Amino acid sequence: MSSGPPIRRRPTGPVRPGQQPQVNVIGRSIRRFDGKGKVTGETPFGGDLAGPEAYTALVIRSPHPHCEIEDVELAAARAIPGVVAIFTGDDIGGTNRHGLIRRDQEVFSRRARFMGDCLGLIVAATPKIAQRALEAVKVSYKELPIVATMDDALAEGSYPLHETGNVLSTELIRRGDADSALAESDVVVNTETRTQCVDHAFLDREAGMAYMEDGVVTIYASGQWIHEERRLVALALGLPQERVRIIQPATGGAFGGREDISIQIYLGLAALKLDHPVRIEYTREESMIARHKRHPIRIEYTLGATREGVLTAAKVRILSDEGAYASTGPAVLRKAVSHCTGPYRVPNIHADGVAVFTNNNPTGAMRGFGACQLAIAYESAIVELSRVLKIDVVELKRINLLDDGEGVTTDQKIPVVGVRDCMEAALRRIGWDKRSYETPAPHLRRGYGVSTICFGVGYGDGFPDASRARVRMADDGVVEVFTGGVDFGQGLHSLAAQIAAKELGVDPLAVRVVASDTHRTPESGSSSATRQTVFTGNAVRLAASEVAGQLLDVAAAYTGLHWDDLELRGNAIAAKHDIAGHEDRTVVLPLRQAVRLGRERGYALDVESCFKPRTVAKQKGTGKSPRAFITYMFASHVAEVLVDIETGEVKVARIVAAHDVGKAINPQQVEGQIEGGVVQGLGMALMEEVVSEGGFMKNASFTDYIIPTIVDTPTIEALVIERDDPEGPYGARGVGEPGLIGTPPAILGAIADAIGTQVHETPANAERVWKAIKRSERAGDGASA
Amino acid sequence: MTNASGVEEQTLTLPSEQEVEKLRAAEATWSLSFTLNGESVELMVDPTETLYDTLRERLRLIGTKGACLEGECGSCTVLLDGKPVTACLVTSPQVQGRTVVTVEGLAKDDRLHPVQESFIACGAVQCGYCTPGLIVSAAALLAHNSTPSVEEVREALEGNLCRCTGYTKIIDAVLEAAGDEPAVMSVGGEK
Repeated sequence: MSSGPPIRRRPTGPVRPGQQPQVNVIGRSIRRFDGKGKVTGETPFGGDLAGPEAYTALVIRSPHPHCEIEDVELAAARAIPGVVAIFTGDDIGGTNRHGLIRRDQEVFSRRARFMGDCLGLIVAATPKIAQRALEAVKVSYKELPIVATMDDALAEGSYPLHETGNVLSTELIRRGDADSALAESDVVVNTETRTQCVDHAFLDREAGMAYMEDGVVTIYASGQWIHEERRLVALALGLPQERVRIIQPATGGAFGGREDISIQIYLGLAALKLDHPVRIEYTREESMIARHKRHPIRIEYTLGATREGVLTAAKVRILSDEGAYASTGPAVLRKAVSHCTGPYRVPNIHADGVAVFTNNNPTGAMRGFGACQLAIAYESAIVELSRVLKIDVVELKRINLLDDGEGVTTDQKIPVVGVRDCMEAALRRIGWDKRSYETPAPHLRRGYGVSTICFGVGYGDGFPDASRARVRMADDGVVEVFTGGVDFGQGLHSLAAQIAAKELGVDPLAVRVVASDTHRTPESGSSSATRQTVFTGNAVRLAASEVAGQLLDVAAAYTGLHWDDLELRGNAIAAKHDIAGHEDRTVVLPLRQAVRLGRERGYALDVESCFKPRTVAKQKGTGKSPRAFITYMFASHVAEVLVDIETGEVKVARIVAAHDVGKAINPQQVEGQIEGGVVQGLGMALMEEVVSEGGFMKNASFTDYIIPTIVDTPTIEALVIERDDPEGPYGARGVGEPGLIGTPPAILGAIADAIGTQVHETPANAERVWKAIKRSERAGDGASA
Repeated sequence: MTNASGVEEQTLTLPSEQEVEKLRAAEATWSLSFTLNGESVELMVDPTETLYDTLRERLRLIGTKGACLEGECGSCTVLLDGKPVTACLVTSPQVQGRTVVTVEGLAKDDRLHPVQESFIACGAVQCGYCTPGLIVSAAALLAHNSTPSVEEVREALEGNLCRCTGYTKIIDAVLEAAGDEPAVMSVGGEK
């Protein structure tokens, strides 16, 4: 048996400036070029841009989760000295609408469907005056019935939130004959999982500024896909796209939470109408009330198996709370349904998903969307099956995990399935076979959980998903990379520089990256769906290698040598090997000189490339697809927890997270993505929950919405597995989301191992764990009585 | 004037610069003097405003960040007389005559503080929004404990939220800095 693929072990250690390599830059932890500005505090984020001359804009929001707006009385507010203007729906020139999949949300609402709906926009000379004006606005409204829960939404005669009713979308998978297979199975288990509403809680609140420049509305704001945001702003305001420019400043996290439009249209409207710089900065409370969230999903899971533990069939019912507007909901539901059996071999599948509107926060994109809720559900069913069959959960996984070339839920065959490699690596690291259940005190119980998950990369399902990038040699010999892709901390721009540096043989830190400006950079699609390493990474590689080819042609013509004897390295074109007259692989042409010569000979040395791999839309009636996603990520996490059985409190002692990333282009950044995802997953597993009562969000602050601190977090042990992806750049397949997805099921599995019963509702906070312990004690008493 | 839908449009007359200046001046009625990053500063502020606003809005020191403005996130951590505080919970008149060090005061003559250096080297920076506050807290820890344990690092940084990194590389970075040149750890402003 082979020893498996190589594992890169922590720590990669600090990277010192003198260690920046000139060659073999792929697979090296190059320092990110935005590090210095961020540690000194010099780097401006959205809230740092506007000078004192800018006006302050403030949003008037709905007083009620569901109401018809009868009147917004503005006279008193307008009379306050320093109030410059108050805009409403009467002032907007375009469609007054936005929305990523359906344009179903009004910029200025006449009927509010949740607390974040906007009724008007105040612009004033100072923030204090704007606040005073907001307090002087009187809104009269007619309350409408509140649809607070998914059950309310589906109830007979429920109040329709949209013209199309309260069902946004449905999805299904039909493979084989699940009903017959379940009837014939030796064992069938049923679980019901309820996942909660989660907030992205990125630290950099929505903030930005806008002004007019040569008739162009110029907006500095943080999104995830600036070119799509430009389209939405232009539509809403009724402007041609070329009159809207969006520039993304440094961005403090996104995690899907910046996919929907936030402040862009407000800023654009105010700058356009006033021809004066305007700024907006949400408070934390406003940020949490206005922004979409993660879908709470209820999953009924029926899983069948033979006595030996071979899975036979899965029947899955999924109900998803969309909140007030569609956002990315249909894509989230499809992701949930298309990932409903995870990385397991399940020959018969019958899955149905329904997404329904309520008066809660709209739910949309958040890291691991759809897939992470379903991972909790299928792993819970696997743990239950393990208990019933009395087969160790790891053995059960070994029997049923997919192998290379087998099909996932949609029956898409995956050439490289790294999930077994991940699991075995994680088990070795934690010392699975010698794990100890000893605890320091009698009221503590120790437990271990293992998750195995998969995740389809990119938009998929036939969506025309593409990234463009441009690479140019500047006259001074510097390599320039242009990408519209946004970097909110994950390191895309450093990655783009690293790839261009590899192809052109220069120091990555000497590459000039021009990014995230709709007027200067080509469209690189959305920074979401774990897609940018593969998509923009490939686009940069294509463009850079074409420029490299041109430079080799220039040098070949100049030296009379064959281009194939030459290579780019160390800021020069040099001989690949000893050639007569070029012994010791000498430099034949410095890069700057090659650029000058190339320009003289008519080479542009300026190439834009596009990476647009095709996926295949789902088959009607079955939901299957031979290529739903361009590639799949696999991962396995092992969690070790200590549970206090007197209080229900859970302490995570260790997490090992093994991910097959194909190739880690920058291992330190890859580990950083895994570690960060793990801690967000820990928050989802144990503590984070948006609490809404009757459409009113109850915990819109960092005091009441708790995210993990450094004290809640163990050292994360990230293991990077590298089994090359056939289509990724240098074999890479992305890393962004699975770190989150793998964590909740591992922690929940560990809790079940510790207390002998499962918690089926997230977060598994102290109260829910304590109740599960008591329930199980009562059941145990009943059984023995 | 009415627009296309027959609705009366508001007349948009922008206030003059002088008017805006007057409105701003009317808010700033308190004369404040304190030592900031080693230099004396004197300016007029609104007596109800926080140190966070004074630093950012009036002095344009944007390194002090604010994710929550209610003392929960630690992004606005600065040193007040050498001790870490959240600038959003300090009103500006409270710093009268006292010494404040912000993240901008840590690098000396373009030479980064060892914690700043190690945050970059160890990959402890992702989005960077929490970074200045974490660096100020870590610098304060190392100023009085040059060989902290992992648990002491956790305790010192408990008030600083980070949503990107998972904290693992932040701990690496603080320990790495602790092993580095303890002689330059002074953060200034200690009393």
